[in-house]
Amino acid sequence: MAPILFQDGMEDVLPSETNGTKSGRSDTVDLNDSTLQVDISDALSEREKVKFTVHTKTTLPDYAKPEFSVVRQHEEFIWLHDRFDENEDYAGYIIPPPPPRPDFDASREKLQKLGEGEGSMTKEEFSKMKQELEAEYLATFKKTVAMHEVFLTRLAQHTVFRNDHNFKVFLEYEQDLSVRTKNKKEKVEGLFKSFNKSTDEILLAATQKDVDDYFEREKTFLLEYHMAIKDATTKADKMTQAHKSVADSYIQLSSGLSQLGTIEGPRLEKFINKVADTFEKARKVEGRVSSDEDLKLSDTLRYYVRDGSAAKDLLYRRLRCLANYEQANKNLDRARAKNKDVHAPVDVADAELAQQNACEKFEHISNKAKEELNDLKARRVTAFKKNLIELAELELKHAKAQAQLLKSCLQSLPEE
Amino acid sequence: MRLYLIVSASPSLCPGDNPQATHLPRAWAPLARPPPHGSRLTADLFSTNPGALKSPVSEQTTTPEDQRSPEDPLTPPPPAASLTPEPHNPGTPPDLFESVAEGPVVVQGGSPKLSSVPLDLPAGGNGGEGKQQEQEEPQGPVEAALSIEGEGEGDVTSSDLIPDPSSNPVPPPALLHDPPNFLGDTDTTEVSLDDGKTKAEGDGGDEFIQITVSDPQKIGDGMSSYMAYKVTTKTNVSYFRKKHWSVMRRFSDFLGLHRKLVEKHLHSGRVIPPAPEKSAIGTTKIKLGSDKNADSGSLDFIERRRAALERYMNRTSTHPTLRADPDFREFVELDAELPRATQTSALSSAGVLRLLNRVGETVNKMTFKMDESDQWFEERTQQIESLDAQLRKLHASMERLVNYRRELALSTAAFAKATAVLSSVEEHSSLSRALHQLSESTERTQTIHHAQADADFYVLSENTKDYIQLISAVKDVFHERVKTFQTWQHAQITLAKKREAKAKAELAGRMDKVQQAQEEVTEWEGKVERSQEEFERISRAIKKEMEQFDVMRVKDFRDMVIKYLEDLMTSQQQIIKVWETFIPEAKAIS
Repeated sequence: MAPILFQDGMEDVLPSETNGTKSGRSDTVDLNDSTLQVDISDALSEREKVKFTVHTKTTLPDYAKPEFSVVRQHEEFIWLHDRFDENEDYAGYIIPPPPPRPDFDASREKLQKLGEGEGSMTKEEFSKMKQELEAEYLATFKKTVAMHEVFLTRLAQHTVFRNDHNFKVFLEYEQDLSVRTKNKKEKVEGLFKSFNKSTDEILLAATQKDVDDYFEREKTFLLEYHMAIKDATTKADKMTQAHKSVADSYIQLSSGLSQLGTIEGPRLEKFINKVADTFEKARKVEGRVSSDEDLKLSDTLRYYVRDGSAAKDLLYRRLRCLANYEQANKNLDRARAKNKDVHAPVDVADAELAQQNACEKFEHISNKAKEELNDLKARRVTAFKKNLIELAELELKHAKAQAQLLKSCLQSLPEE
Repeated sequence: MRLYLIVSASPSLCPGDNPQATHLPRAWAPLARPPPHGSRLTADLFSTNPGALKSPVSEQTTTPEDQRSPEDPLTPPPPAASLTPEPHNPGTPPDLFESVAEGPVVVQGGSPKLSSVPLDLPAGGNGGEGKQQEQEEPQGPVEAALSIEGEGEGDVTSSDLIPDPSSNPVPPPALLHDPPNFLGDTDTTEVSLDDGKTKAEGDGGDEFIQITVSDPQKIGDGMSSYMAYKVTTKTNVSYFRKKHWSVMRRFSDFLGLHRKLVEKHLHSGRVIPPAPEKSAIGTTKIKLGSDKNADSGSLDFIERRRAALERYMNRTSTHPTLRADPDFREFVELDAELPRATQTSALSSAGVLRLLNRVGETVNKMTFKMDESDQWFEERTQQIESLDAQLRKLHASMERLVNYRRELALSTAAFAKATAVLSSVEEHSSLSRALHQLSESTERTQTIHHAQADADFYVLSENTKDYIQLISAVKDVFHERVKTFQTWQHAQITLAKKREAKAKAELAGRMDKVQQAQEEVTEWEGKVERSQEEFERISRAIKKEMEQFDVMRVKDFRDMVIKYLEDLMTSQQQIIKVWETFIPEAKAIS
């Protein structure tokens, strides 16, 4: 695949994800509370990987230069996310979900199929379909860039995260971060870890009683919501796909008709050509409908699936912390009981210390978590509102355009 | 045979007049004996509940207006009749009319049949009976009652009436035809599936004929069942007997018609519109499936077939020669069942024969290259071929469109459901409402998509398929011409041979052989002439046919495309409405 240079221009995707910043504002990208501004100014797609040019503008003193750029790959984004995830200090926060891997497989497959079927269609048809596929590829590409950018901007806007050391390294370090993708062993380890985590989660969910009603409710809500929204996302995806197929089949209809026109000769030719032309235009509109649906609807849903997942993680961490806290309590009691006679304060002191830490941690997490969850809610509502409005308006626009197109075609037709 | 004479009572007849009215049960018993004892009968009749008394005549009069129940008139009226009056309170006048009304339900059957019978009666019976045709006229019943009261006269009435039920079985279909006016302008319901109905409606306009195929019904059960369709014709063409009527036909009837038309007209160079194909799978599914289990797949199949039959009938009827064909007219007009076109069955001997013929012809088509002298035919054949290929391709892409759109409808429906679930889980109330609205809007768009997919299919795809078949009918006609040419060639060659033979015989001086050869030469000269004529005739006919075909084809195509575009536009407009209602909801999220 030839490298595709990406120029700026994805602003219409960004706002939906970056609204509702920490400061609670829901207007869009202007990161004006920023003394730290991050964006992806460029991207290159090569064979298997995509290279993002991360561009930073800052007035923060820690940084060496006020403005600079580095080149990063997808794995490095994941590395960054993992660093945040592991950091115990951030246990009380919702960690912004990592961007999904750039996936061009679907497009590539389609292009291949098209190539195979080249013999069975006319040159015109073939070139049109190829154009469509290329546009699709471009759209996927733009989307993945946007998602990576959103991830970074969220971090940059977060009052705590933006000061993180790893983040700084990520933004500044000019060399390759030499984050190799996990080799087999590490992958297996990673698998185990996540497996453990999920069983632990389930165990905790079953056994650990939450002291706070609010969190209980939140947990149930989040679980339910998460399932529902995941389902909605898959269905939305299927729907947009089907829409796209309908639009694409117009191409063949249109070219089939034009060929018919040439055979039919003068009587029907003009008529048919007009119709074929209309179909061609209609196809473009339908294609737009499909991609807009994808952008406004599916992507919003998808993003909140991931965000919801991150929230679930937060709750899990909190629960774990609570379990630890209760455990520490028990230990303390046991230590105290054991050491009643012997008066060995060390053990008790240790246990006390541990218990105190656990307690603090837990309180800290609980407070933060409450804030974060409320924030998430607000963000979600605004994002949905904005996107639903935009979706509806776009659908309306397209439907009107199509109706108009068909009307003018019908009007110009009856010329015997 | 049992006969019950029941006179519909007039208001003037008070139950009180009949001292024996209460003796109803007993009164009926003697009636169980065989009828012709008129006076006895009538006396008993009179003594019983007047409301229960009805003459078959008035029974019949009430039926057309009241009931249209298709029960057998000859199934035992007596027990039924004896039962009907009892539930009513014999005493009250209002019941008289009630029972009058209800009687026909149980007793009366085959309403049009019987109702037509009385028409014959007035001729034979007394005028009072004639008047009894109208329910509203009390005089009739009164007269009958009076006549019954006068026991002697009762003989007359009863004896007059007695034979009638026996005459009831006189072929109803014939009667149906004769007095359509008797039924007035009201619709009669379908009596049995094999009979037609008559409607006395007029229709004006230029010469036109329009046929609709509707009401597919499954007749019978299991492998011997079949689908019957109602064929309704509206026309003002003169040689049809009526302007507007319906008949029931089964699928094999349509195929039989097509075959007959092909047999008769193909060799004169006419393009015969092809009939819808037989489909073993679809048909078997219908045959074996029960009515209740009619799944959407078989309903689709039936609908497809019905639409295809309708198009077929209309195409055939627009062709003036085919329209005038007696077989076609019989098909469209005849009220009774057509003789089974058994030869349409694929497995019959005739079917096998046809198959072999077709194979032979295909081989012929491929091997014989005609020496085309006519430029016109050369061009047209070319054009037909490429048209065929192109239409097939177009049809394939249309089918793809239909499939994708159906998929779109399905996935939109799934999405609507998922959104509904999401909306119920969402805790933020206005967002939840908006999501719910989204779900409903998507539900509506799904319906629109589904309808559009159907339009895609029936308007676009099926019509194109029809045209592909029509084109192959055209090819058949062209081939007929080629065959005629072949015959002519063959005749010419044989003539040359015969002439040679004759010359040889002359040289050899064999006078007897010469005579014979001469005869053969003359014979073959005649054949050559005739086949040449035939060839030229068919060529001319085809040219004319093709002109008409072209005109029709162009018009049809334009109509089809325009209709389709209109449908698309309507869909889009509906989508506009859906989204317009949604936007304020979305904006209302707080």
